[in-house]
Amino acid sequence: MRSDPNVPQRRDIGGSLAGATLTTARNDMDYSPVALMPDVKVIKVGGQSMLDRGRSAIFPLLDELVPLKDKYQLLLCCGGGTRARHIYSVASELEMPTGVLAALGGYVPRQNARMLQMLLAKHGGVFMLHDDFEKLPLYFKLGCIPIMTGMPPFGYWEKPGAGGRIPANRTDAGVFLSAEVLGVKRALFIKDEDGLFTDDPKKNPSATHIERIGARELLKRDLPDLIIERVVLEYLTRARYCTELQIVNGLKRGLVTRALEGEDVGTIIYKD
Amino acid sequence: MSRGRLLQGDGRTHIDSPLMRESLVDRKVIASTDSEREFEVLPDVMLVSIGGQSIFDRGKDAILPVAEELADARGKYKIIVGVGGGTRVRHTISIALDLGLPTGGVAQLVGAMEEANAVLLNALLAKKRSMVMQREHFWELPLYLENGMLPIVISTPPYHFWEPPAEEGSPLPTHGSDFGLFILAEVLGMKKLLFVKDVDGLYDRDPKKHDDAKLIKRISLSALFANLPEDLPIDRQLLDAWRNARHVERIQIVNGLVKGELTRALAGEDVGTIIDRGETHA
Repeated sequence: MRSDPNVPQRRDIGGSLAGATLTTARNDMDYSPVALMPDVKVIKVGGQSMLDRGRSAIFPLLDELVPLKDKYQLLLCCGGGTRARHIYSVASELEMPTGVLAALGGYVPRQNARMLQMLLAKHGGVFMLHDDFEKLPLYFKLGCIPIMTGMPPFGYWEKPGAGGRIPANRTDAGVFLSAEVLGVKRALFIKDEDGLFTDDPKKNPSATHIERIGARELLKRDLPDLIIERVVLEYLTRARYCTELQIVNGLKRGLVTRALEGEDVGTIIYKD
Repeated sequence: MSRGRLLQGDGRTHIDSPLMRESLVDRKVIASTDSEREFEVLPDVMLVSIGGQSIFDRGKDAILPVAEELADARGKYKIIVGVGGGTRVRHTISIALDLGLPTGGVAQLVGAMEEANAVLLNALLAKKRSMVMQREHFWELPLYLENGMLPIVISTPPYHFWEPPAEEGSPLPTHGSDFGLFILAEVLGMKKLLFVKDVDGLYDRDPKKHDDAKLIKRISLSALFANLPEDLPIDRQLLDAWRNARHVERIQIVNGLVKGELTRALAGEDVGTIIDRGETHA
């Protein structure tokens, strides 16, 4: 609009971005990032791997976590599991869009978070929604264990993927993104396996354990199946804060404690 | 179909379904949920986006004529309106980045400036049956549309603190208002999106900087990707998402500063620039 006098003019506020296209990646800016809450332990409790096992898996895990809450700031995020699989299956048969599946899948981890909250209530367990995220400092100050869904809040706004309807951003992605925005270096994923294997150990007994691997390296291997959502590996390659994911076996007593103490148990996937 | 039985035996309780026990990361499993068609939730609705910088920041003389055209179109068509935030979004980001806030923190902030423009437009159009639709009222959209209301939605997608990291090194959130409106249109099965901007459409070069920039009247998405102009009037993230989309067939960019263009575009006329998805979902 070559300053046509008949056209109403834009009123810019000014600043380095005035008039700029905003959503194009830029790294020419002066930017010194701050970490918001780097000491929080962001922990995912697996849906199919832990919660669907019920009492036999969950009670020992909570017994292990409760004494740690005075030492660490624990943020528990729940996975979905078989009920999420069931609704994805029904909805994809009805040819529903990905965003609808993401919204439907969101209900299950919220239920799971509410279950953990009930069990942890007497130890300060509080259920929180995405909108309560800014209250985390309060919960920790009061000695609480905040519990939320692992799902990110994308819902109907989840973008469709290529070649399938299952939303790409599910509870692993939400947990990683929570850690990233809080400025936490390592996110912990509690599953029912010792970590990452060369193949699904539940289906292939000769699969071997991987102790440490870079996200790029893992993506390059192009494995048909993974223990963590693929999109998380892509995010990890671009992460600014959360540069390590640790996957531990929550069915083996003591591993979660050792992981929280900083020990490299299970599998570490790092930004390479 | 026996789907629904509870199954035990491996320590977990499963519900019988084709996805039972499966890893949802497995490519074969993901592919099993694909099909040729996709259900259309609200197909006969058009989404109209009113630019923040391009219209709202120009004030009364730009906003009122556009508002008037929207008011006239209400009742004739089922329309959902989205608005951009404009220069206040840019200012927010500029301050937030100077403070060193993380990408997700920046993303959490920006939606408020758009919501302010939505409220402003709603105040102008309230007597013409507009209303600001909060996200929690998502499934009330059919109610509003069937009753001839003009819902104004918040454009920024609710990625908030969970905004994914951008390309290496860039702290800017990439899921902006154009993308948010596009995904809303797509998930509801809409076919057409209209972007009301302050240029006649898409140019081969930025028309604000180059006097010899040429208007592209019609282009397919693949042709656009083959030769992307350096400065796009719509978000790159939208174009990326469109490649995997199934419903949105056409995006039209019109000049809101030219009286009647929006009305003609709503009536199906080929004004401004038309981007066609072209080949269907593979």
